[in-house]
Amino acid sequence: MSSRSGSKREYETSDQSTGHSASPPVPESSETEAGGLIFYHMDLYGSKERFDIFPEELSGQGERSLGDTRRESALSSEKFQHSQEAGYDLEKEVAELAKMYGLDEDREKELELLGGHLEVAESRWPPARTEKARSRDQSQSTKLQGLPGEASQDEDESKARAEDEAESPIRSGEGLSSSGISDEWNSQAVSEEEESGDVFCSTCKMPIRAFDKLFGEHKDHEVTKLPSAMESEKEEIHKNMCKLEEQIAQMENFASHLEEIFITVEENFGRQEENFEVHYNDAVQALAQKYEEQLEALGEEKRQKLEALYGQLVSCGEHLDTCKRLTDTTQELYLENDKANFMKAAITMVDRLEEFLKKEVDLELSTVPDFKERVIDFSEVEQLMNSINIIPAPCAPVINPQAPSAATGTSLRVCWSLFSDDTVECYQLCYKPVNNERRSDEQAAPSPPIIKSKKIRSCENAALVCWESGDINPVDSYTVELSKLTDEGNGDIITESIVGIPNCEVLIHLQPTQSYHICVRALNVGGSSERSDPAVIHTTGTYFCLNEDTAHPLLAILDDGFTINLLEHTLLSVSHRCIGILGSLIPFPGKHYWEVEVEEDTEYRIGVAFENTPRHGYLGANNSSWCMRHIITPSRHKYEFLHSGMTPDIRITLPPRRIGILLDYENCRLSLFNADIAQHLYTFNSHFQHYVHPCFALETPGMLRIRIGIAVPPWTALP
Amino acid sequence: MALKQVSSNRCFEGFQKVFEHDSAELKCKMKFGIYLPPKAETGKCPVLYWLSGLTCTEQNFITKAGFQQAAAEHGLIVVAPDTSPRGCNIEGEDESWDFGTGAGFYVDATEEPWKTNYRMYSYIKDELPKLINANFPTDPERMSIFGHSMGGHGALILALKNPGKYKSVSAFAPICNPIQCQWGKKALGGYLGSDVSKWEAYDATQLVKSYAGSPLDILIDQGKDDQFLSAGQLLPDNFIAACTEQKVPVVFRLQQGYDHSYFFIATFINDHIKHHAKYLNA
Repeated sequence: MSSRSGSKREYETSDQSTGHSASPPVPESSETEAGGLIFYHMDLYGSKERFDIFPEELSGQGERSLGDTRRESALSSEKFQHSQEAGYDLEKEVAELAKMYGLDEDREKELELLGGHLEVAESRWPPARTEKARSRDQSQSTKLQGLPGEASQDEDESKARAEDEAESPIRSGEGLSSSGISDEWNSQAVSEEEESGDVFCSTCKMPIRAFDKLFGEHKDHEVTKLPSAMESEKEEIHKNMCKLEEQIAQMENFASHLEEIFITVEENFGRQEENFEVHYNDAVQALAQKYEEQLEALGEEKRQKLEALYGQLVSCGEHLDTCKRLTDTTQELYLENDKANFMKAAITMVDRLEEFLKKEVDLELSTVPDFKERVIDFSEVEQLMNSINIIPAPCAPVINPQAPSAATGTSLRVCWSLFSDDTVECYQLCYKPVNNERRSDEQAAPSPPIIKSKKIRSCENAALVCWESGDINPVDSYTVELSKLTDEGNGDIITESIVGIPNCEVLIHLQPTQSYHICVRALNVGGSSERSDPAVIHTTGTYFCLNEDTAHPLLAILDDGFTINLLEHTLLSVSHRCIGILGSLIPFPGKHYWEVEVEEDTEYRIGVAFENTPRHGYLGANNSSWCMRHIITPSRHKYEFLHSGMTPDIRITLPPRRIGILLDYENCRLSLFNADIAQHLYTFNSHFQHYVHPCFALETPGMLRIRIGIAVPPWTALP
Repeated sequence: MALKQVSSNRCFEGFQKVFEHDSAELKCKMKFGIYLPPKAETGKCPVLYWLSGLTCTEQNFITKAGFQQAAAEHGLIVVAPDTSPRGCNIEGEDESWDFGTGAGFYVDATEEPWKTNYRMYSYIKDELPKLINANFPTDPERMSIFGHSMGGHGALILALKNPGKYKSVSAFAPICNPIQCQWGKKALGGYLGSDVSKWEAYDATQLVKSYAGSPLDILIDQGKDDQFLSAGQLLPDNFIAACTEQKVPVVFRLQQGYDHSYFFIATFINDHIKHHAKYLNA
């Protein structure tokens, strides 16, 4: 097989005689190769030429050797011979079309291919062509589909004219160049028409003239009408074309797949190489380590031996010294002339000598010169070597940081990710509880936070809890633990926990008419704090607290936190001042109800206000506050329902002692009631664009007691 | 008692009907309007009685007040009787618009020639409820009453004289203190004679002063631009003072810019219906 991509032009010129253009792959020589088999050129990266096969085949008609080619069984060589005889002008037709539609090379080939197969079946070329052209004009997009249709059209036509006209000429050996040689061919085509037959002999597999059937050698043979024979042949060829196309597609896929495999092989190689290197390094390191260890031990041993020997040597030396001294002394003694002195000294000497000689002389070596046998332990290394697997051990997975709400009191959801390169059979999860032991070099876990119980705001469906940090240790996040209190008193079972809270407050959704215990923990790198002291939340009504920061200086808040008192004071000489306080914001949608108990002679303003209401103003005198006002005139109680400084004229005969306030965000209402007799007093209809604060003010000395946590009474339902 | 349907109109998925009957109390044919809410088709409903004012018939309220929507919503039957006996041919009955025909004042007359026919108090208190309960799907235990002007006066006195009978009472621009105003003096004098002590039994302000019955919750709307208010015919302040004294709960609303007409009634009728519904549907 020869690879000739990019050498089209060469072939164009060289193959002119055989009518090739732009059909590089198969030179004539290859046609005589391998018993005439022409190999399909398998070019991975430029398979444009593959369609050449057919035109090649067809256009190589000049050579009868084409008949020997065995591409597909259906494409019988005889057919081509016949087609040649029939005078098909395939190339010419396609060239014309190509010219007409400005197709590129590939399309040309395709057309050749299909045109070719049609041509085989067709009998009438020139009229067919014009028809084709016409219908192509009409619907270019369906050109290819159109061809079979057209073919049949043509066939009909051709049937009509079968007798009279010759089949369309095919120019043998015509090239695909779009030069205008069609005229030349046309004339040639005409001349060939006369030779065509009009009946097909199935026995001999050749078209013959009807005349021949009756009177010639084909007398007894099977014949079929040429058109129908054409039809069936056409079908067969078409089928085979399709199969070929399939094959083409398959091979293409396979080729690209192989490419991928190439890359994968490289990758795998790379990984294995790395793997080996790592193992090798490990092994070498282990060896080196062992070697050093042993060497050190050896050295140590030597030192010890030498020390011992040296010690011995020293003691020997000492001993020698002593001996020497004694010898010297004894010798001196002998030189003594005085006999009495000699005797004295001699006796002492003898004693000394005796004593000295009593001492044992250790002539044993304290240590052996030989060293211990040492062997480098290869077992570990062997182990390492043996542990080289095809599959490398996976890298450590990375545990994702804990997501919020991933934990309850008794369970935890852990997520981790792994490296995509790794092959993993299974995971092993290990855990241990972390305690808060203070380690000097680690960050201390925080102390438990302190819930601001008094500041909890809640309603039937939600609660807003805030707390403060227990100490100065840094805190990364807070965890809130909730347990619903039921009759069984299971205040310790945590029913819900919210993790990952960044600030010191949280809004929790709750169920109505329940009680809850809530605790908070603080978390940092050092761990989690102990649980804070629990706070209780009842979802039986709306709870808020009085915001001391907003209190007028002359107003006193009594111990329970919900009674405000204004005492006699010289500064109150100006009548009708508005000395008030705001409650905390009620940030929950829906209905909220609370009550205020008043004395009969208390002059007050009770209502709601936006956060930005002017603190030094009068409640109800602006459009950011609404209130009910009670003042006492000499003749009677006077009630006003103030907003934007305006009030309706309303008389109330029974001064309410317990005022019910219904705040209905949903229905845009603020209603006031005499709660003792369930009497509706007045309703403000106002679309509250923001959440509001309850507000309470006294105009003269007196006291207001606020009651919260009351469920919305049914008689407040203004239908 | 045979009821004859005079008219029937579908309204807010219920029916606004007018019936006629022979009244034993008033000894003449009487008409009344009745609104039956959609709920009445399937169950018993509470009844709300409306008493109209001077010169009205059973038609004014049912055509002008626009109450049917709220009544339908709250499932209340609303009965609107006529304001006096008609066609009795009593001499002088048509002489003035504020006495006689169309001005029954919801009293039981004791003076001739009125005493035979002019028994609106008893008609409203006994005969009419009995008739309604017998012929319509009502809950006899749940009844409330309200009215306008003379009808407001009627509603107040009926409620005050019959504690516990009515679950709630309300009024539009009622004549609160008839013994003190011109209208009242004329009518009460005409129907009851000159003994003022007999009038007191039909004066809301007076009745409140000695009221010791079951708790009431009274809603009163009064147009500030009501000509009769300024004319001193209505005298709500007296009533309020008396109620304050007696600790009878009243919410009295003085409505800026409103007059005595049905336009005023139509504006606030929903509030009144809701007020009654709160007690009737409780």
